[in-house]
Amino acid sequence: MDELLTQFLIESRELVDKAGEDLLALEKAHDAKRFEDAFRAFHTLKGGAGIVEFGAMQEALHCAEDALAAARAESRPVSALEIGNCLACLDQVAEWLATIEQSGAIPQNADAGDIVALFARGAATPSTAGAAPSAAADAWVDTLLGAHSDTASEAQTAVRYTPAADCFFRHEDPLALIAGLPGLLAVDVEPRSPWPTLADLDPFSCNLTITALLATSSVEVAAALGGESGRAEIEAVAGRALPLDAESLASAAAEILEAQLRLLDSADTAFQQGRVASVGLVAANVLRYVGRSLESDNVATAAAMAIAEGRVAPLVQAIAAALNAAPPEGVAETGRRKEAAQTIRVAAERIDALVRLTGELIVAKNSLGHSVKLAEAEDSDLAVALKNQHAALERLVTELQRAVVGMRVLPLRVAFRRFPRLIRELSAELDKSATLAISGEDTEADKTIVEAIVEPLVHLLRNALDHGVEDGATRAAAGKPAMATIRLRAAREGEHVVIEVADDGAGIDVAAVRRAASERSLKPREAIAAMSDEEALDLIFMPGFSTAKTVTHLSGRGVGMDAVRTAVARLGGAVAIRTTVGQGTAVRVTLPFSVLVTQVMTVEAGGQLFGIPLDAVVETLRVEKERIFPVGAAHAIVLRDRTIPLVRLADVLGNRAKDRADDSGPIVIAQLDGQLGAVQVESIGERMEIILKPLDGLLSGMPGLAGSALLGDGGVLLVLDLAEVVQ
Amino acid sequence: MPDEVAKRVLVVDDAALVRLYYRTALERAGFEVAEALNGVEALEHVLAERFDLLVVDVNMPQMDGLSFLRTLRAKNLPLSSIPALVTSTESAPRRIAEANAAGANFYIVKPLRAETLVQYASLFCGARHG
Amino acid sequence: MSVRVSEAGLIELYGRCGVEDAEALQRHLLAAPGATVEWSGCERLHASVLQVLLVGEPRVQGQPTAEFLRKHVAPIIGRSTKQPGQHATDARDHRYAPRTNR
Repeated sequence: MDELLTQFLIESRELVDKAGEDLLALEKAHDAKRFEDAFRAFHTLKGGAGIVEFGAMQEALHCAEDALAAARAESRPVSALEIGNCLACLDQVAEWLATIEQSGAIPQNADAGDIVALFARGAATPSTAGAAPSAAADAWVDTLLGAHSDTASEAQTAVRYTPAADCFFRHEDPLALIAGLPGLLAVDVEPRSPWPTLADLDPFSCNLTITALLATSSVEVAAALGGESGRAEIEAVAGRALPLDAESLASAAAEILEAQLRLLDSADTAFQQGRVASVGLVAANVLRYVGRSLESDNVATAAAMAIAEGRVAPLVQAIAAALNAAPPEGVAETGRRKEAAQTIRVAAERIDALVRLTGELIVAKNSLGHSVKLAEAEDSDLAVALKNQHAALERLVTELQRAVVGMRVLPLRVAFRRFPRLIRELSAELDKSATLAISGEDTEADKTIVEAIVEPLVHLLRNALDHGVEDGATRAAAGKPAMATIRLRAAREGEHVVIEVADDGAGIDVAAVRRAASERSLKPREAIAAMSDEEALDLIFMPGFSTAKTVTHLSGRGVGMDAVRTAVARLGGAVAIRTTVGQGTAVRVTLPFSVLVTQVMTVEAGGQLFGIPLDAVVETLRVEKERIFPVGAAHAIVLRDRTIPLVRLADVLGNRAKDRADDSGPIVIAQLDGQLGAVQVESIGERMEIILKPLDGLLSGMPGLAGSALLGDGGVLLVLDLAEVVQ
Repeated sequence: MPDEVAKRVLVVDDAALVRLYYRTALERAGFEVAEALNGVEALEHVLAERFDLLVVDVNMPQMDGLSFLRTLRAKNLPLSSIPALVTSTESAPRRIAEANAAGANFYIVKPLRAETLVQYASLFCGARHG
Repeated sequence: MSVRVSEAGLIELYGRCGVEDAEALQRHLLAAPGATVEWSGCERLHASVLQVLLVGEPRVQGQPTAEFLRKHVAPIIGRSTKQPGQHATDARDHRYAPRTNR
């Protein structure tokens, strides 16, 4: 018999004796302390039975525990009958213990049925077993848990769903909705108001309140329920932790991180260092355990900051970022039309996760491509096969990328929402009457674009009204309607989305543009004179340009069209302008339909800035230059007993640093083709999100580059393909 | 990759069987384990030695788990920052809220199998085992 | 329509019972108050139909094949059934009924 069972026997016998004593004493006279002791004894006995997995004993003791709990809840002494039953229970337990001692093992066919029946017979009125008086808000949860105690320990979420009375008319079936929830454990139904007779019942009015217990997290349940009519109350309930396998490890980690956020949230007390520091420790540890060491470091740093500043915000942000949990938007619109095509509601975070995964798949595919190139050098059959397979993979992954990103689309209406009001306000300010005509607002574009295009469009609209549209008198003289029309038009053209802002104003005088550009010395005078009208018009997009006599506060301090062009270019698009003097101007923004956002770490080498995709980076560190040793013509470092090849980025790119004395720059350890590689740079800059554009033109053949991205200041960031760099 | 120092866990529960059960599994997984019967003993332990994780049952005589936690969290750093995993037989949201208010980092409903506790302990300590 | 009355006077719910079946069921139950409802062939039950069953409290017999109905809806119907001893598949509530075989 193992140590656990031996200990179990010893303890349980003691507890049985003690409990028996207490019960007998209670029979004679009620005593609060005796009662508590007895209760605790039964509770501990039951717990012990649980540990050695003796189900029948647990069941029997549970009945006794319930009976005692009922007495306590109802603030009355235990009745003689109940004491008798509890003693009978103890007798049975003692018998079982004796059997275990003799046989050395838990009896297989032990059955608690008799004890259960005993207590059932004696049950007076139904009481929610053991429930202490509960706050009104949680009462339904307690009732639900009590009614389904067998599944309560697995439950993570409790839901109470009250559909609108007219929901049937909206083609809703609340029962089907609940039936479709993931991880359903138990369901209950109640009438919202008392039932009428059958004859008076209106079968088309919904009078149900449905409650359910689920084994899935409240976040998932909320996502599944989002958007239906009717009220859903969702409560997180503590569930029993289940054993983790490789897959559930990540979700356990997420659950723990979410719990840390709730912990920071629940502080109705003042900022408490211990609490916040513990959250930082837990979150950092969890992230490190699942191999996300960069995020782990982020959290650790954020925690230190939070403690130092006495506010939780930095830590909340770091953990939320790790969870990538913006508050769930609940629903990503998937092209709903009046004809009600097949649509599913999906939480935006799920799509973001899928997009991230696709990004990683692309990185993996690129690594494979690299290996394929190496194999090609061998010129074998295998190499040919690999090449073909890689090409096929490339096509599939590209298609997947397109499909996945295509899920994350929103109608442009979302971006255009505020514009009518903007125009109204501007008209008032500028004393020019104008109306905004919008068309094509159902056109869809990637979420990133829809969100990012708002600002440039605001600028274009302001420009149109401020500079384009003439004042009332001028318009009248020109025979134009007093009210100007600004047209905002969106349309899908192949792989692109086109948005146009057009006005019926004065148009742009190209000659004036040439003059202004010369005055500001944006380009040499001769060059400007030699330009065609089209090219000259493009000068508007140069930084520092503005033809307005005064820079009104509305158009900003000459921030101008160059900002618009930069913003659009960052999204991978282009801006063009058409104008006819006296008739109006149209600005046409062309954007890609799908967009992939990558996270990069910026580094400096040879005096230049480069980006390294964050997916590949394992960690960064500094080492003393003594730890870098030559291996043949190359270099390596030893890190935690592993030898890792090292290159200096400046050398590789052919930019020898002027000052070679400084060989101690930071080192980026990256995962390349399944192996680790180290790259030494001069400094490490910030991390940023960019839209990676593949190289074209002159740069496309250059090894070591994965693509480029446009930065906010208009500069170009070259993004490295580390696998090629390290070779 | 050898870990530096073993992670230390304090198991606080008034049931000796529970403590034995968890200790055996945790030690087998490479943790160092100490035991306490109630909140008062637990405080004595944490004041005397360093711990990486506390596993605390809420329901104990003398000083229950949440009172212990509240006291601990009110102390100075680094003592007050020890991660704490709280165990209980009750699932209701109200209880989770109470535990959060007291400063528990996580709440698990019993019965909790020792193997599962080891996995969660590894997550909380950031240490790999096995 | 997924409600029909058999020759023997049994009200059968079969296939996918939708919102349009609620009124029919209500009529049938009002016309024949003592009738039994048989739902073994039932795959889906709209909430409106469930409502009628909860209010009409007819005797319900049979075990639907669909898991959700069998596991979650049957006990709900069983609780409001007029006939005692018709506790469908509800084996957990052993307190208030004689023990059934598990």
